[in-house]
Amino acid sequence: MAKNAKPKPKATNASSNHRPAPKAGSTRTYTILDYRLEKPTFELRQVRDGDAVRYEVSGTLNGAVPPIRDSKYLNKQQCIEIYRWMLLNRKMETALENLYKQGKVVGGVYFGLGQEACSCASAYALKSDEWLGPMIRNQGSLLVRGFSPRDIMMQYMAKAGSPTKGRDASSHFGDIQHKHVVAPISTLGDLIPVLAGVALGARLQGKNIAVMTYIGDGGQSTGVTYEGLNFAAVQNLGLVLFVENNLWGYSTPADMQFRVEDLAERAIAYGIPGVIVDGTDACQVYDAAHEACERARRGEGPTLIEAKMMRMKGHAIHDAAEYVPKPLFEYWKKRDPIARFENYLVNGKKWLSRADHEKLIAEVDAQLEADREFAVASPLPAPETAAGGTYCDPECHEIKPIFGVPKVRTGKPSPARRAGAAVHLK
Amino acid sequence: MQLTYLEAIRQGIWEEMERDSTVFCIGEDIGIYGGAFKVTDGFIDRFGPERVIDTPIAESAIVGAAFGAALTGMRPVAEFQFMDFIGCAFNQITNMVAKAHYRWGAPAPLVIRGPSGGNVHGGPFHSQNPEAYFVHTPGLKVVCPATAYDAKGLMKAAIRDNNPVIFFEHKYLYRRIKEDIPAEDYIVPLGKARVARSGRDLSIITYAAMVYVALDAAEQLSKEGIEVEVLDLRTVSPLDREAIAETVRRTNKVMVVHEDVRTGGLAGEISAIINEEAFESLDGPIVRLTALDTPVPFSPPQEEFFLPKVSDVVREGKKLMTY
Repeated sequence: MAKNAKPKPKATNASSNHRPAPKAGSTRTYTILDYRLEKPTFELRQVRDGDAVRYEVSGTLNGAVPPIRDSKYLNKQQCIEIYRWMLLNRKMETALENLYKQGKVVGGVYFGLGQEACSCASAYALKSDEWLGPMIRNQGSLLVRGFSPRDIMMQYMAKAGSPTKGRDASSHFGDIQHKHVVAPISTLGDLIPVLAGVALGARLQGKNIAVMTYIGDGGQSTGVTYEGLNFAAVQNLGLVLFVENNLWGYSTPADMQFRVEDLAERAIAYGIPGVIVDGTDACQVYDAAHEACERARRGEGPTLIEAKMMRMKGHAIHDAAEYVPKPLFEYWKKRDPIARFENYLVNGKKWLSRADHEKLIAEVDAQLEADREFAVASPLPAPETAAGGTYCDPECHEIKPIFGVPKVRTGKPSPARRAGAAVHLK
Repeated sequence: MQLTYLEAIRQGIWEEMERDSTVFCIGEDIGIYGGAFKVTDGFIDRFGPERVIDTPIAESAIVGAAFGAALTGMRPVAEFQFMDFIGCAFNQITNMVAKAHYRWGAPAPLVIRGPSGGNVHGGPFHSQNPEAYFVHTPGLKVVCPATAYDAKGLMKAAIRDNNPVIFFEHKYLYRRIKEDIPAEDYIVPLGKARVARSGRDLSIITYAAMVYVALDAAEQLSKEGIEVEVLDLRTVSPLDREAIAETVRRTNKVMVVHEDVRTGGLAGEISAIINEEAFESLDGPIVRLTALDTPVPFSPPQEEFFLPKVSDVVREGKKLMTY
């Protein structure tokens, strides 16, 4: 380069997200990676049946149950760990159901029955300094992130010792210090830009991390879902978005939420990779999550993973889900994520002997019993603790960048370039 | 140095970005273009696109992403092109951000700033004063500066605060007022009002652009022997209850003036505070002088009719003096 030549302008980080050059021709093809070993084909319709309108399912509902797909990444020990989280997740929810029936729960209980593989195996793909934002049914994700069953039980029983000190319910809690979990709010999709922002904060502090959150077939209809994922895509942030297609948004079937065949197709419109997994297969969930997290850590941006499964209970405990056609429950019951993973580990891979399996179950039961007793015995909050804590006082938190002091690159100070420039509405 | 209100805000953010590498800006058209009002003009050259982030037109994403970054210890300054658009992010602000510390102990040190206010013929969607929605939301702080000095000092205080602060800049004031700003670093603390003019006969409690309407009216009333005290609230959440009570105790007569609409506006809250803190000192009814309970009309004569004017304040002041 000649001595006085001006250096060639360089693309900035924020704008270096190159698109592939357009291809010739009048049609284009896009790729959706599909890990499933079975592709269910059934359709749900509203039908009039005498004086009543109800849902009816038609299609193939008697296919053979698919095997668990061998993971490309998980070893024996990791598979057993994920299985243990799934078991803890399910048994904890059974304990919550019992506590509810005993009148010890305040309000309702939300279940992730049938979705344990999706919650646990996805969260398992994150590193401890990475972040997660759960939805209401992702109680398994919270366990994997390090919260204990007693935390969740105390939330449901509105106890003083709950993570929110009685101030919020269910999975509505988080921790910025150690577990790196963002507390969800009841409206859906709102976590998506927030988790993208966490990845942005980390990047400003010099680290590309994976951040993970979830949205349902119902919640993905919200505008903020689009805003958040589009922002993550444009900014190339390491967001792993699990679209948990559990077929029901409260009582409304997925077919009435969207027109595309697979929600993973949405990824095409965001310009990001889309993946489909069987949400009842922990290995598929993990593999897709792991690959998306690795992309995130390499600074390659977000991934949308659609996990197909079914919500095996009502919206919450009050809801008997009588609107769900029985054959659907029967179909998905045969695809129970825990029974199949157990069969895979105990009978298929023989990674877990019957004795070890029984021991594992006994440990989970013992942990839950201890946590249940602790949670039940713990006190409700004092009434006056309703007050205070709305604001962060100077003493209550020291705010500092958690991944390191941001690196600063500065140009020359510039005076207001267009101080008198034409602006709107002077 | 003489700075306009806009330049003072710009300098406040700039200096905080120089001082603290966790401060960054995020918003629409704030980078190369420098913002619709040029508040962040030149920022991208100095601080780079990493810290001056142009976003899609997606207000919920802007606030959500700012909040997420704040959770990692950053101090985002999020620009709304017009504060009228803040409704697009209402859920993020009031449910996600404002409740975070109470619910789960997460501090949210972020500033949401942008131009508000009328008298520039912007019509129903470029003129609003939506502060009352946020004053009504526990967990937020709300700032409405009137002077260039305060705008800079309050901006610095807002950025350094560990809570979400909604910072309503008044676009009518952006280039209309100018004053000497000290060269050295200073802040104006949140939650503290200031006496903009002292008087013993009548108090006008107000904020933002209406401070100037009150001061002009005070000047006219002074010629008629009525000495008006003007209290500029500066921060409208938390309100400076003590300063409100004190001015009422001094003058015994009070008028609350704001540019926001009347029903459910801050004047009602301020009146209630006066009842609670200084009822015994009142020597007349609390007068509210506000915009009409309508959207902000576009046509200049209509907008002039809609907004409180100096002549309105003078008339109501004289009426109040008859008690």
